[in-house]
Parts: sequence; structure tokens; C-alpha cells
Amino acid sequence: MSDMLVTLALILGKLLFIFGVVLFMAAYLVLAERKILGRMQLRYGPNRVGPFGLMQPLADVIKLLTKEDFVPARADKWLFLIAPGITAVTALLVFAVIPFGSPLEIFGRQVPLVVVDLNIGVLYFLGVSSMAVYGVVLGGWASNSKYSLLGGVRGLSQMVSYELSLGLSLVPVIMMARSFSLTDIVMAQQSIPFVLLNPVAFGVFFICVLAESNRIPFDLPEAENELVGGFHTEYSGMRFGLFFVGEYINMVVLGSLVTVFFLGGWNGPWLPPLLWFLFKVLAVCAMFIWIRASMPRLRYDQLMNLGWKILLPLSLVNILVTGAVLLGLG
Amino acid sequence: MENLVQEAIQNVNLHAVMPSLILSVAGMALLLVAVFSPRGKTAHIAWLSIASLIVAGIVTIMGWNDTQYGFAGSVQLDNFAAFFSMICIIAAGLAILMSDEYLKRENFPVGEYYPLILITTAGAMWMVSGTDLITIFLGLEVLSVSLYILAGFFRDQVRCNEAGLKYFFLGAFSTGFLLYGMALLYGVSGTTKVYDIAAYIQANPDTTTNVMFVAGGLLMLTGFFFKIAAAPFHMWTPDVYQGAPTPITAFMSAGPKAAAFAALIRVTFICLEGMQDHLTTVFWVLAVLTMTVGNLIALNQKDLKRMLAYSSIAHAGYAMVGLVAWNEIGSAGILFYMLVYTFMNMGAFAILILIGRSGEENLTLDGVTGLGYKKPMLGIAFSIFLFALMGLPPTAGFTGKFYIFAGAINSGYIWLAVLGVLNSAVSLYYYLRIMIFMYFKEPQEDYAWVKIYPATAVSIVISVIGVLYLGIVPGSIMQLARMAGF
Amino acid sequence: MLDLYLPIIVVIGIAFAFAIGSVVFSRLVGVKRYSELKMSPYECGVPPIGNANERFSVKFYLVAVAFIVFDVEVAFLYPWAIMFKQLGWYGAITMGIFIFVLVIGFIYDWKKGALEWE
Repeated sequence: MSDMLVTLALILGKLLFIFGVVLFMAAYLVLAERKILGRMQLRYGPNRVGPFGLMQPLADVIKLLTKEDFVPARADKWLFLIAPGITAVTALLVFAVIPFGSPLEIFGRQVPLVVVDLNIGVLYFLGVSSMAVYGVVLGGWASNSKYSLLGGVRGLSQMVSYELSLGLSLVPVIMMARSFSLTDIVMAQQSIPFVLLNPVAFGVFFICVLAESNRIPFDLPEAENELVGGFHTEYSGMRFGLFFVGEYINMVVLGSLVTVFFLGGWNGPWLPPLLWFLFKVLAVCAMFIWIRASMPRLRYDQLMNLGWKILLPLSLVNILVTGAVLLGLG
Repeated sequence: MENLVQEAIQNVNLHAVMPSLILSVAGMALLLVAVFSPRGKTAHIAWLSIASLIVAGIVTIMGWNDTQYGFAGSVQLDNFAAFFSMICIIAAGLAILMSDEYLKRENFPVGEYYPLILITTAGAMWMVSGTDLITIFLGLEVLSVSLYILAGFFRDQVRCNEAGLKYFFLGAFSTGFLLYGMALLYGVSGTTKVYDIAAYIQANPDTTTNVMFVAGGLLMLTGFFFKIAAAPFHMWTPDVYQGAPTPITAFMSAGPKAAAFAALIRVTFICLEGMQDHLTTVFWVLAVLTMTVGNLIALNQKDLKRMLAYSSIAHAGYAMVGLVAWNEIGSAGILFYMLVYTFMNMGAFAILILIGRSGEENLTLDGVTGLGYKKPMLGIAFSIFLFALMGLPPTAGFTGKFYIFAGAINSGYIWLAVLGVLNSAVSLYYYLRIMIFMYFKEPQEDYAWVKIYPATAVSIVISVIGVLYLGIVPGSIMQLARMAGF
Repeated sequence: MLDLYLPIIVVIGIAFAFAIGSVVFSRLVGVKRYSELKMSPYECGVPPIGNANERFSVKFYLVAVAFIVFDVEVAFLYPWAIMFKQLGWYGAITMGIFIFVLVIGFIYDWKKGALEWE
């Protein structure tokens, strides 16, 4: 009985820790992004609230929470209300399977630093993350606004297109790790991370991750200078906040996944595993921000061409080549 | 693990699916040929399709009397499957022969048409050789999905769209019945292989009174009845047959229908053998209903395609009499009859293609007024097919019906044979009416637009030869049918 | 088996609580002022013209259909990917054929212009 209680306490402890960290990171990623973008564009970025603008996220949260929660006329009320929740919830759900450190020894028992080490972790991630598209498309569709509709439909097409290559670029990883469990995948990279073994898969995965998170250069669903706000044009207050938070949580999640699948997870010399993991995730996120500062937005036809005509064939060929090489090496 | 892999590899046996494999590979290759060909050029695709059908046919014939089992007992290429495969191949070949010029006339020469027919045929072959409910279902779906597209092929014609959409909705609906029935059978017996289900029933005789099993069997049969257009599941047939491109109508009423009959025979004669007493009741009620409904409504039709659609319902009813008989002559009779029906029906539709004008005009009774004088060869060929459809000697229609009704009489269903003959008598009226219009009315037009397309003419000639050969010397083919039957 | 998924259920609960809680909280705290203009959809400040749920390009449907086909392909690749050592060359060649069949459809799509956005 006490055993079970301890297990439950551990789960809850880990969950609260993770959620705290993730939400904290998401909040400060916003600030970091605004700061870095500002600096890259020869501006200061937010610096009024607190020292160096460090209290800015708190101010944002208070502002979003106290805004009016309203539904535009003739919008599909229920879908409109549900859509932002889907984005935030799916982003949080993926975190359950991400291992963020090697197992720890606490009170004499092995505690894996992952909420749950599912033996079908990769499938879980693909299944849950493909739900995220519903947030975009339902939000866009339910708003009863032309901009939203266009943004939602664009987002739908874009996300499903890149989901294919995303899924296909993980097949070589599974072939190399021979497991669906994310922990096993990290273990398999103890000596050499997969990014060096299969850079093509890494490249495809990274591009698809950018597209899945609707970030520049793939931010067509919310292209502000043609669609105002895209699928979230009509959203305001905390519902907009959920979309916003969801997007940044997603950034952390996807950064962690890049780390787990290709950068060797928590593996690394000298430093403690947890720190290595954090460092890698932050590096990937910094990469995202840097790309945002330096890349122009793609045109829609370029976006679709890249997804269907380049990434998809490339990842298919990559699978066959990886399979042949692995079998040839015995 | 290694053993499992070895076992799986040994179980595959590609010989069992060789004919359908040839057709599906050809279908995929031709799809690429079609998409890389310049617009409007389809003749080479048609000829390549016919070549692949011939190859598949030769492979099928070479496999006669050499039963192949494949995919761990999911596929069984025996004489029964080979015979029905040949029917499908012949139907597809005739349909392709009469298609090319027709597509040009209808101003829609699109190359995907032929690969779709090949893939339909491949699906039909999986259906006829499947000994696993899942394989049968897979074949049925491949066949149906391709046919949905073909039925609505002329996407700018409203009639054709209607046909495609109606066929799709009702087809999907009926597939639901079929799959649900299969699921229930699986639930009861724990297997989807027809022989294993039969063995399970052998071991547990009280299964035949199990509600779930009976419901599953009946639901599955309902799905098949939809496909063979047995009354009261025939509602989709007239509209779809009328709206679809004429070669596709011809093909649909011959090849896929034969395949559905094949699967129906295999499943009922093996799986549901224990329910024979009840099923024969179901079958005879439906057979009588189907032929009566088909013939009676056909009496009132002015549109020839629609009339032939109802006639095809009636003919499905005749073929079902063979199911009622539930003996060797009956099942051989069905095989023979489906072959005969392929020739006579496709021939009749080929004639309709020739006398029609672009946009499917002129396919009413008035449209054939005096045709017999202006185009005597067409008139004679049409008359032969009509005689065959009526079931008059010396055409194959007579021998086909003869064997079917003989099977029924052998099993003691004399009154059913009598009903069948009476129905044939009813059908005389509407078939003869076409001939009256052709020969006993003054021609009002000179039929200048009727061009004898060479390939279509070849298909008519083949059909005439088939109808007469099977009518005058049916013995050898009937022998083959008896070797193939259950 | 089930206790493996227990944490997932807890995660779902917490995630939902977060999403619902924050919105409910903001609803309680936030102001509510009704105005006709605020309720109308945003169209750059001018009164909205026509219906918002207009028809959009058929291309999006084509993408959706193509996605279904290839998504199934991906789903079939995973089981092979995890067992591919045991399945050896036989499995690799089989999967190669499987991919090839889908590639035919892909080439067809491409040639037909289903992937073109002018």
C-alpha cells in the first residue's frame, strides 16, 4: 500500500516539477525571444517591467487573465471555446514521455526521470502531436472570420503535409535504436548521437518541427501582414493566451524531442545529465529564435513544394538507404 | 522469430495470386504510362491493357487443375477461381475493346480508365480466389472503389455523376453490412478463414442456431446480395447502369457480378453449409423475387440501357436458382451461366454503344426504329444477343438456363424451374419489342451517324461467336464448369 | 499494463485542469462589456462583407486525401522499422516494394498537378 502511495507521490512530484519547469520555460522563452529578436534588430526589447524586463511574463499573464473573455457573433461557440484548449493540452501531453535525465537513486529506489517510459513512446508522441492540428483548424473555422478560416485551412494543410515527413524521418531513428521507447532511444545514443549517424533524418526532422510549430519561416497560418493573426485573429484574453502558451510549450516540447531523438538526450561528458538535457533543449530553442530573426517567410507554393516534393521523397530514400546500410553492416 | 519469418516466407506462394499480380502491376505501370502520355492519346494504353489481360488469361489457363494455396490459406487458386477469373478477364477485355472509340466520341479520352479496369479485375480475382473473409473483403473493396470511379467517370455529365455517387453511397453502405456480418462470424468462430469456420461448425453443430452466427451470416449475405443486385437490394442498379459509361455498365453487369457470385458461392457452400435448410429458403424467395421484379419492371422501360439494367437484375435471379439447387449441377450451372451472360450482355451493350450518339442520346426504343433495314449486320447481331437474353435455342442463353433449371429440378425444386420458365416468357415481351421496333417499323432516319468502330466490332464478333459456340456445342465448356463447380 | 498508463491519465487531468482553469479564472476576473461592433468579425476596421465560411480551393482537399494515403504508409513502416533486423533482407525488399507502390501514386499525384500551387 505504502509502496503504491510512494509511486503515486513520485508521479505527482515529477509531474508538478515538469509542469512548473515547462510553464516557467515557456513564459521566459517569450521574453527571451523578444529580447533576442530586439537585439538582432538593433532594439532593446522589453526592459521596463522589473530589472532587464524580467517581470514581463508576469505582467503579460496578469494582462491576459483580466481581459474580457468573449465570443464573436455567429461564431461556432463550442468549437471556438474548445480550440485553444486543444493546442495547450496536446503540447502538455507530449511531455509525459520525454526522458530528461538518467535514472536517479532516491530513498533506495530507482526513479527514472520521465513521467512514464511508454514502450510505444514514439507512437504516443506522433498520435498526440497530430491532435494539435485540431486546435488550429477548429479555431480558424469556428471564428466566423475570413482571415481565421484561411489561416486555419492553411495551417491544416501545412501541418498534415509536414507530419508525413516528420513521421518518416523518425523511422531511421527507430531502426537504429530498435525501440519505440524514448528512454531506449536516448540509451542507444550513449556513444554517438544520431545526428552524426543520420544527418539527413535530423535535417528533415528539424525542418518539420519548425513547420509543425507554425514558426517562421513556416508561419503562414498566422502570417500577420496578410492574415492579421491567421487562425487566432478573433481570439483575445486568456483564450488567445492558451494558443500563445501552447505555442511556446510546443517549442520546448519539440526542442526536447530534437534533443532526445538526435542530440543524444541527457548523454554528455562532465556535466550532470539533467544539465546537459536542459542545455541542449535551450540550444535548440535558441536556434528556433535565431531562425526567426534571420529567415523570411516562405510563399505557400514554396512551402508545399518543400514538404511534398523535397522532404517526402528525401525521407523515403533515407529510410531505404538507412535500412540497406544497417543490413549491409550486419 | 527467425522461424516465424521463414514460415511466413514459405506461406506466401506468389503462384496463387499470379494472374491478379500481373494485372495489378500492369495497372500501376499503365497508370504511369497514362499520366506521362499526351492528352487525348489513349489507344496505346488500351492495347497494352488488353495485352496484360491476355497474359493474365494465359497464366490462369495454365494453372488449370493445379490448385495453388497462398498466404497461409487466405488464397486458393483452384479451378473454381480460375473459371471465374477467366469470366472477369473476358469481361474486362471486351469492355476495353469497346471503350477506346467510345471515349473519344464522348469527348473524354482519359488514360486512367484502362488501369482502373485492370485493377477492378485484379480485385475481382482476389474475391474469387479468397478463402479468407478478409481477403474476400479486400478484393471486394479494390473492385468496388475502382468501379465507383469508373461509374462516375464522365465527370462533366450529370447523369454520370449521379451514377457514381449513388453507387458509392449504396456500395459503401452494403460493404458495411458485409463487414459487420464477417465480424460477427469471426466473433463466433474465432477465425476468418472459410475452411476453419466450416471446421468449427463441424465441431460445434449447435453454432447454426447461435443468434450471432445466423445474424452474421445473413448480414454478410445481404452485402453480397447488394453486389449481385438481387431484389430487394437492387434499387441502385437501374440508375447506376443507366448513368455509367456504357462499356462500364456492360463490364459491371458481367465481371464484378460474377465475382460477387463466386464469393457468395464459396462462402455459403463452405462456411454456411450447416444452415443449408434455412438458406435455400432465403435463396429461393430472393431468386423468385429478383427475376420477377427485374422482368416486370423491364416491361415498362423505354430507355434501352435501363431496360438492360432491369434485365440484368432478372438474370441475377435466374443464376440464383443455381444457388437454391445447392448441388454440383447448380453451381456448375451458375459458372456456365455467368460466362454465357458475359458474352450476351456485353454484346448487347456494345451494340448500344454503336447506335448511340455523343452524350448518350438515341438509346430509347424509338432510336432503333428500322435499324434492321438500315444496318442489317448490326440488326442481326443485336437479334442474336436478344435471343440469347430471352433464352431461346440455338443461342447460349438457352443452354445456360437449361443447366441452371436442370440443377433445380435435380434437387426437387420443379416449381422453381417452372417459375423461371414463366419469367423467361414474360421477358420475351420486352426483348421482342426491341426487335419489333428494329424490323417491323418504317425507318425514320438513315442512321448516318452510326459508324462501325473496328475494335467495338471485334468485341461484338467475339460475343456472337461466344454466344453461338456456347449455345450449339456447350459440352466442353460445361465439362470445365463441372470440374470447377463445388 | 494499466498502471503504465496511469500517469498519462494524471497528465491528461492536469493538462485539462490547466486549460479549463485558466479560462474560467479569466472569465471570473475579466470585464464584460457588450458592444455590437466588438462582436462583429475583424476585417481591417470596415464592416465585414459577405459570409465568412466561404468555399476554399479544392487543393486543400487534395492535400488531405494524399495525406491519408501516405499517413497509412507511415503507420505501416513503423512495425517494420522496429523488427527490421529480424526480418532481414526479405523484409527490407518487401517494404521497398510497398514504398514503391506508394511512390507510383506519388508520381501520379505529382504529374497530375495535385501538388502544384501557382
